[in-house]
Amino acid sequence: MKRTGILVLVFTVVFVLAAGGLVSANSTKLTLWTFVHQHARFYQVMTEKWNALNPDRQIELEASVLPYEDMHNKLQIALQSGVGAPDIVDIEISKYPNFMKGVPQFVVLNDVFAPYVDDIVPSRLEIYARNGNMYGAPTHVGATVAYYYVEILEEAGVDYREIKTWDDFVEAGRKLKAVYPDKFMGIVETSAAWTVTAMLAQQGSDLVSDDDQPLIDTPEMLRAVTTLQEMVKEGLLTTCPDGQPDREGGKGLIDQGVVACVIMPQWFMSRYLDEIPNMNGKVAIAPVPVFEEGMPRSLGLGGTGTAITLTAADPDLASEWLAFAKLSEEGNRMIWEDLGFDPCNTALWTNTEMTHNPDNAYNQYFINNVFDVLNEIKDEIVMVRSSSISPAINDYVTTVMLNELFEDILDPAEVLEDAQYNIESQIF
Amino acid sequence: MRKRFAFLYDQKVAPYVFVLPFILTFLIFFLYPVLSTIQMSFQEILPGMISNVGFKNYQRLLGDRIFRTAITNSVLYTFWTLALLIPFPLVLACMLNSRSMMGRGFFKASLFLPVVTSVVVAGTIFRLMFGEVEGSLMNSLRALLGLSPIKWLKVRQTGFAAMVLMACWRWTGVNMLYYLSGLKGIPPEMYESADIDGANVWQKFWLISVPLVKPTIIYVLTISIYGGLAMFTESYMLWAGNSSPKNIGLTIVGYLYRQGWEQNRMGYASAVGLVLLAVAMLINLGQLRLTGVLGKELD
Amino acid sequence: MERTRNKDHSLLARVVLVAFFSILSLIVFVPFYAILLASFKPGEELVRYGLNLRLDWELMSFANYRYLFTGITRAGAYIAHDYLLWFKNSVVLTVVQTILTLLVSAWVGYGFAMYRFRGKNFLFTCVLLILMIPFEILMLPMYAQASSMGLLDSIWGIMLPYLAHATTIFFFRQYLTSIPRDIVDAGRVDGASEYGIFFRLVVPLMKPAMSAMAILVGMNSWNNFLWPMLVLRSGQKYTLAIGLNTLLTPYGNNYDILIAGACFSIIPVLILFLSAQKYFIEGMTMGSVKG
Repeated sequence: MKRTGILVLVFTVVFVLAAGGLVSANSTKLTLWTFVHQHARFYQVMTEKWNALNPDRQIELEASVLPYEDMHNKLQIALQSGVGAPDIVDIEISKYPNFMKGVPQFVVLNDVFAPYVDDIVPSRLEIYARNGNMYGAPTHVGATVAYYYVEILEEAGVDYREIKTWDDFVEAGRKLKAVYPDKFMGIVETSAAWTVTAMLAQQGSDLVSDDDQPLIDTPEMLRAVTTLQEMVKEGLLTTCPDGQPDREGGKGLIDQGVVACVIMPQWFMSRYLDEIPNMNGKVAIAPVPVFEEGMPRSLGLGGTGTAITLTAADPDLASEWLAFAKLSEEGNRMIWEDLGFDPCNTALWTNTEMTHNPDNAYNQYFINNVFDVLNEIKDEIVMVRSSSISPAINDYVTTVMLNELFEDILDPAEVLEDAQYNIESQIF
Repeated sequence: MRKRFAFLYDQKVAPYVFVLPFILTFLIFFLYPVLSTIQMSFQEILPGMISNVGFKNYQRLLGDRIFRTAITNSVLYTFWTLALLIPFPLVLACMLNSRSMMGRGFFKASLFLPVVTSVVVAGTIFRLMFGEVEGSLMNSLRALLGLSPIKWLKVRQTGFAAMVLMACWRWTGVNMLYYLSGLKGIPPEMYESADIDGANVWQKFWLISVPLVKPTIIYVLTISIYGGLAMFTESYMLWAGNSSPKNIGLTIVGYLYRQGWEQNRMGYASAVGLVLLAVAMLINLGQLRLTGVLGKELD
Repeated sequence: MERTRNKDHSLLARVVLVAFFSILSLIVFVPFYAILLASFKPGEELVRYGLNLRLDWELMSFANYRYLFTGITRAGAYIAHDYLLWFKNSVVLTVVQTILTLLVSAWVGYGFAMYRFRGKNFLFTCVLLILMIPFEILMLPMYAQASSMGLLDSIWGIMLPYLAHATTIFFFRQYLTSIPRDIVDAGRVDGASEYGIFFRLVVPLMKPAMSAMAILVGMNSWNNFLWPMLVLRSGQKYTLAIGLNTLLTPYGNNYDILIAGACFSIIPVLILFLSAQKYFIEGMTMGSVKG
C-alpha cells in the first residue's frame, strides 16, 4: 500500500503539473497549509474534480505541508500580524480553540455550507463554530473503537466479541498474561488522552465543563484513571515510547505484536495500513469496553478543521471549493476511500457499495468491516467539548498528569487535586 | 559628491560612522523590542483585540507553578553546566598544555568535534541513544551490567542528566580551547622557575595557571551563564518538541515559547521574558562584580 | 640521579596523559560512531528498536544516502525532498552572514578601540548589555519588528539583527586595543582617510582575530535554530537545521532521511574547523583573554 500511495502521489504531482500547464491561463491560485502529507494529496485530488466540474472557475492549488507545531505557531503569528497567512488552512482540533480567541480571523462559512449541513453530523460542525458562525469544515467523525489482535487473544481463550465492560477487559487481560507473560492487553497513553477521554465520555463527563471550567478533580476522572492505573499495576497495560499509539514508538510496539488491544479513533486504521505492516490480516475492530453496559460506547476524537482566512485572495472561491472538497458527497467518499477516515456524512455509512468494497485496501487489512461496527454504535457516539481553555488542559494532562499516574504510579486522588490546581493557575 | 560628504571624513565624525551600525542595531533590534516587551507585558493581546490589564500578568506569574518549574529547571541547568564546564575543561587544557603531552593537535580537534554538530543533530542522536526501548545504546550499556532497561527521558533525574551530558559533550572542547589560548599567554619561564622552587603539579596549577587565566575564566563564565539561562533548543530537540514528560526539560525560554507561540498569550509571555531578563542581569552583574570586572575603567 | 628520575617521571606522565586523552576521545566519538552507523540502517528500525553500536550487516545499506542524493526511496519510488536545497541555503547563509558580520563588527569594534568620542562609554556599556541578554526574551517583538520591516521569509531577516554582533564587536575591540595606535597615526600622516586606514592598514592586521571569529560566527550561523525558524516560512528557504527538524513530525515517517541527512550535515563545519583551527587558537590568544 505504501508503494501504491507513493505512486498515486507521483502521478498526482505529474498530473497537476501537466494540468497546471494547460489551464493556468484563467485559473486562480490558492495557497493551503496542512501538516499531513495525505491531506495535501487529498486536496489536490479534490481540486482536479473541482476543475473538471467548473471549467470557468479553475483553481490552482498550492498546498504546503509544514510540521505540526510549526504550522500552527506560524499561522497564529500570521493571523495576529495580518500578513503571511495562506488562503486555506488545516487546523488540528486541539489547537483550534486558540484561533477562536478574540475575533476569529476566518471567513464565516454558513452560506456555502448550507446546502450540505443536513447530511453532516451536526456536532462535528459545532466543534469548529462559535456563536452560530461556522469557521471550519470537519474531516471525519473520529469514532473511537477498539482494535483487537485476535490471534493472541484466541490463544489465551478470549473472544474479543465478548468483551463488553472494563471488567471483561481486565479478565481478558489476565487470561492473556497467563499464556503470554511478556505481552500486554493494551497501551496506556501518557502523551495523549484518548482512552481517558473515552472513559469520561462513557460516564457523561469531559475534560472541560459547559461553562469553560476544567473538570479534572472529579469522581468520573478518578474512576477512569484509577481503573487504568490498577491495570498498569497488574501489568495488563503498558506505557509506550513516545507516550501514545499514534507516535513512532507506539506504532513500533504494536507492530511487534506485543499489544492485544489498541483503543483509538477510527482514523487509526490508516496508520495500521501505512505503518504497522506486521498486523495485516490480524486485527478486528469492536466497540470500546464501558464501565457499565448501556453507557455510550464511543466518542469522536481528533480531527482537523479547515478554515479560510480573512486575508484570502478570493475568499468566495476558496469557501466554495472547501465546501465541495470536504462536505459534498463526493468529498466524503474520498475521505473514506483515499484517507481511510469515517466521513461526517453518515448517510454514506450505509452505502454498502462504498463501505463493503472488497477492493478497498482498508477493508482488506482488517478482519471485519469497520462500518458494521460504526453503524452499531452510530447513535452512541458522543462528542468532546472544545473550549478556549482546552489547549491549556490538554497541555498539562498530557505532559504532567498522565505521566505521574502511569509512569510514576502516584496516588490518583492527589495527582488529580494537584492537576486541578495547576491547570486553574494556567487559565485566565 | 565627495565634497558634500566631506564632513564624514572628519576625525570627529568618523568614530560615529564607525559605531553607527551598532547604534542602529541597538535601537531597532534591542531597545525597541525591550520597550515593546515591557508594554506588552501589561496587555492582553488577542487577534483584533488588545486590552490593558495592568499588573495582572505579573500577578498570575506569581501563582503559576509551571513557571516556577521552568525557573528551577533553567537555574539548575545553568548551575550544573557551570559546575562541570568551568573547572574540567580548564584541567584538561592544563594537561594538554603540559610539556609531556603528545598528539596535542589531534586531541584538541577530537574534543572540539562535538560542537560542530548542530543542536538539532546532537539532540536527535542523544534522544535515540537515551531511548527507552531495550535496544537503545544506554539501555544496552545497562544490560551489560546486568541491569534492566529504564526510561531515561521520562524520569526527572536521568532526563535532566541527559540534557547536562549533552551540554558537556558539546561544550567541553570549546571551553578547553578558550582556556588553552589563555594558557598560551603564560610565559613558560614562570613554570620553569616554579620547577626550580620545587613546586608540584598541583601548586603550579593553583598558583600560576588559574590566576593567569582568570580573564578567560570570567569570559567563559559569562557566556556560560548566558547560554545556560537562555537554553531552549537542547531541550526542544532532546524531547522532539517543547513538551517533555512532567516538564522535566521545560526552561524559561521554553515556557516563553509555549505561552507566546503555542498558547497565543503574547502579553503573558512578555512578562515571562522580563522575569528572565531580570534574572540574567542579576546573575551576570553579580558575577561581574564578584570577579571584579565591573568597576574597572573602560579605557 | 635527579635527572633520570625526572625523565622516568615525564615518560610515565606522557603515557598516562596520552592514555587518558585517548579514552576521553573515544567516549566523545561514541555519538558520532552511533549516528554514522545508524545512517546506514532503516530509520524506522532506529526509532522502534533503539540507536546502538551493533553492526547489523543485513540491515545496513546505502539506501538512506541514495534517497538523500537522488530522491529514490528504499521502496524504489521517487519522492522529491528538499534536503539538498536546505543544504545549499545553509551554506549560502553561513558564508554571507559570516563575511558580513565580521566586516560590520570589525568596523564597529575599530570605532570603539581607536577613537575617543563623546558617548563612547555609554555605547560600549550597551554592547556589554546586549552581550548579557538572551535574544530569546525579545523574540516576540523582534518578530513583529522584522515583520513590519518586510524581512520575514528572507535571509536578510535572519542576518540583519546580528550583523553588528555584540560578542564579535567586543572581541574585536579587545583585539584592536592591543594594536599600536602608531599605525593609525602613520596612516594619517601618509594622507589616508579614516576609512582608508581601516580597510588598508587595519583589516590586514586582523586576520588572526577574524579567523577565530569566523569559526564562532560561522558555527553559530550554521547551527542557528530558533530565530531562523521564526523568520522563515516557505520550505524552499529553510536552512538545514530547521529543515531537519521538520522531518520530525508525528505525521509521517522521515527518519531515513533525517539520520542520513544529519550525519552528512556535520561534514562542512568539520572542514571549516579543521582548516581554520590553527588561526582559531592564535586569534583567541590575542583577543578577549586580555580582558
